[in-house]
Amino acid sequence: MEIEISSVKMLYRHLIFFAVQRCRMSDDLCRLTVKLTSFSHRFGLPLVRISVSDTGVGSKLEEYQYLKYRDDLVLANQWDGMISLATTSVSDSEIHNLNLNLKESNSAGRLTKLPSTTKNGVKFSGTEVSVSISKSLDDLLAEVTCFLQKMILVKIPKVVMELLVGGDDLLGAQTESRIVTIEGSSVYSPVESIKCLEVGLKDYVRKHHTCLSIGENLKGGTGVANSSGSSHGNSQVVEAVVIINEISELFPSSCMREQDMRTEILYFKDFVHCSVAQSSLDALTSINWKSYGLALRSVADHDGCVILEWENLPPHLHIHIAIHCYHRQYPSLPDRNLARKAVKCALDDLKENNQGVLLSTRELKMCDYALDLAKTLARLILSSNDLNFQEECCSLLGVQSQEVNPDSVGNCIREKIISVIGLNDRNSQKHKEAPSFLFEDDCFRKEDFMDEDYQEGEEAYISWDM
Amino acid sequence: MGELSRSTIFFFDQHLCYADIIPPSQVRARIEVAVLNFLKALSSNDPSISDLSLISRNPSNSRVSRGLLTGDSWIFLSHSFCTRSLTRENSAKSFIRVWKVMEMSYQILVQEKRVTQRELYYKLLCDSPDYFTSQLQVNRTIQDLVALLRCSRYSLGIMASSRGAIAGRLLLQEPNKEVVDCSTCGSSGYAISGDLDLLEKLSMETDARYIIMVEKHAIFQRLAEDRVFNQIPCILITAKGFPDIATRFLLHRLCRTFPNLPVLGLVDWNPAGLAILCTFKFGSIGMGLEAYRYACNVKWLGLRKDDINQLVPEECLAPLKPRDLQIAKSLMASEILQDSYKEEVEAMVQSGRRAEIEALYCHGYDYLVKFLATKIVQASYL
Repeated sequence: MEIEISSVKMLYRHLIFFAVQRCRMSDDLCRLTVKLTSFSHRFGLPLVRISVSDTGVGSKLEEYQYLKYRDDLVLANQWDGMISLATTSVSDSEIHNLNLNLKESNSAGRLTKLPSTTKNGVKFSGTEVSVSISKSLDDLLAEVTCFLQKMILVKIPKVVMELLVGGDDLLGAQTESRIVTIEGSSVYSPVESIKCLEVGLKDYVRKHHTCLSIGENLKGGTGVANSSGSSHGNSQVVEAVVIINEISELFPSSCMREQDMRTEILYFKDFVHCSVAQSSLDALTSINWKSYGLALRSVADHDGCVILEWENLPPHLHIHIAIHCYHRQYPSLPDRNLARKAVKCALDDLKENNQGVLLSTRELKMCDYALDLAKTLARLILSSNDLNFQEECCSLLGVQSQEVNPDSVGNCIREKIISVIGLNDRNSQKHKEAPSFLFEDDCFRKEDFMDEDYQEGEEAYISWDM
Repeated sequence: MGELSRSTIFFFDQHLCYADIIPPSQVRARIEVAVLNFLKALSSNDPSISDLSLISRNPSNSRVSRGLLTGDSWIFLSHSFCTRSLTRENSAKSFIRVWKVMEMSYQILVQEKRVTQRELYYKLLCDSPDYFTSQLQVNRTIQDLVALLRCSRYSLGIMASSRGAIAGRLLLQEPNKEVVDCSTCGSSGYAISGDLDLLEKLSMETDARYIIMVEKHAIFQRLAEDRVFNQIPCILITAKGFPDIATRFLLHRLCRTFPNLPVLGLVDWNPAGLAILCTFKFGSIGMGLEAYRYACNVKWLGLRKDDINQLVPEECLAPLKPRDLQIAKSLMASEILQDSYKEEVEAMVQSGRRAEIEALYCHGYDYLVKFLATKIVQASYL
């Protein structure tokens, strides 16, 4: 459970994560504010205070006890290891002020209690955690904004988030501006939650592929996997969304960048964007991508940001994946099987609702065959001089008599075949049962059924094959 | 009892799966049923791509029939089936092939024409090069279609391009044509037409005492040139290698028309030679549902191991090829083969040698006729 803080990025992500969970535990509508405040350059060094405040349940300090400070030169130059905490629960009469020194390994010496502040009888709960970082405000702001923009994908039930920036201007007056506001969803509902993730990912894709804003075509599939898990009803949920982005081939090829052969996994744990858990990483590699016509070239983990690289993605196609693992209640542990199941469900959903999308190599081949088969059948039907036969065929196909020509009949047959292929493998088992014969004969015995593979290229047998 | 029923004529009646010889209108109706069934499955509420179920031409679906009184045997196919399916990777292409040949056959029948397998091959090669790359594929697909529609290849409007020839003491007359004397057709003989209809309508007359089936064209030519039929009253017939259906059909007609003439086979002393003889004698699974139809009781005149021992010098023997051993294995495994034949195969395998009929020429070009005469006089055939 120990978490070693090795960078500023990791630090503020954890602070936000804890705040989100406190809000989730609260029954009321909560507000979560991340504020970056820059100070005058003391000794020529830029200094920014990051403060994360929330109106969730008060902190029990448990979550902070697992944080460890990693001895790292870069980190040491940016942060002194001190966290200031102010927290209160609804039942408390005062606000507790504390300082936490992560550099101190002795647990007794880590925590310093400061004088409490009275609440003057007002009932409220909340926590403010702040750290001072020696880093340029612009850099930090860009990072945090990017992080929070990913958070927009999941709508945290009953939580509103905002990012504020303030600072001492030259006149010494405080200025403040709001950068990002994230509206949470009003109630918790699994249906709404997956929809939010889908809408969120679509918005994210639109915003981040500005070049593709016209003529784009987003197709999405969603999947949810549940475990009834622990006895406390704290079931785990994994939601997955897969979006396929088809760019019209008319677009300039400059839009088709090399990186589009890749897919970044947007991974969320308990409503917070974070690095992909190993279990989910395994889940992703164990999916049979081939059955969706995809081939995974590599899975790269860059500092917790996981990139799937594809072998054979057509240049006009991009795939985006978001996974959200959470427990109905906090805290949680991710489950590999659930992540796999959810992603598979999302892929299947995408496939089912979008004809011709994510077809396996086998199905693609079958679609090629479908074209030839349709043409053959159409020619056969139209070469007949038996009008009754032709009419019967057309009525089965639903082709109007005035439209009867090889193209219309062929296209109709082809579409029907392809739609059956699109119904995918799930049905193939069903039709495997008993083969039907054109000309019935009682002599046919089921146990005689044998699968005879066609041996291609076998030389003509002069042998007497008995 | 089980063993008996498996090998008698009664078993044959019960289990024979055969191809009907039917008029074009009926074949067309069967194709139309196939198309309508496919479209129905495709357009139903629970749509599916239906598979094609065909009678299997796998050896395990073959059966042997032995006549109780005549001793004649032949092989035939029973009712096991296999499927060609679009959804199975290994059969998707053959599935399309069946439909393509069905389309061709349908059009041929509508136009009231007939085509040879060779013509069909080139047509398919031009139209669908992705599916047809060899004559063998076309031939097999035709057999698939025969096994699907259960009508003979000929009924599908497809003729075998016959290579066969016939010569000797036989008068043939096609309807409304002059009588042909096969003894005056020269060394290449009278070419056997692939049109089975025409062969069926031939009127035939003969004063021959024997029918001699010759494996190779070169030997046939030699015998025709030497006018062997002047010395031995006989009819010569050859398929120039592995027998096609028209040659088998004509030989079968000769046997029916002249039931008293024994058919004697002259083949190389190697497994392939015997396989050719056996195809005339018992039929071939490769011919699918028509396998049994044209079986004739051919007797094995030569070459046999005694001929090799007595007449062929060591230097005229060639080593067996791997392909020979493969054929030998399938012959040995066959339940229909009589023991005396199997002994010959064993002798071939044991010696590791093979001999061509031409090896007899070391005794002079005219020796072949003498050889035949001696064997016939001695009734030395199996």
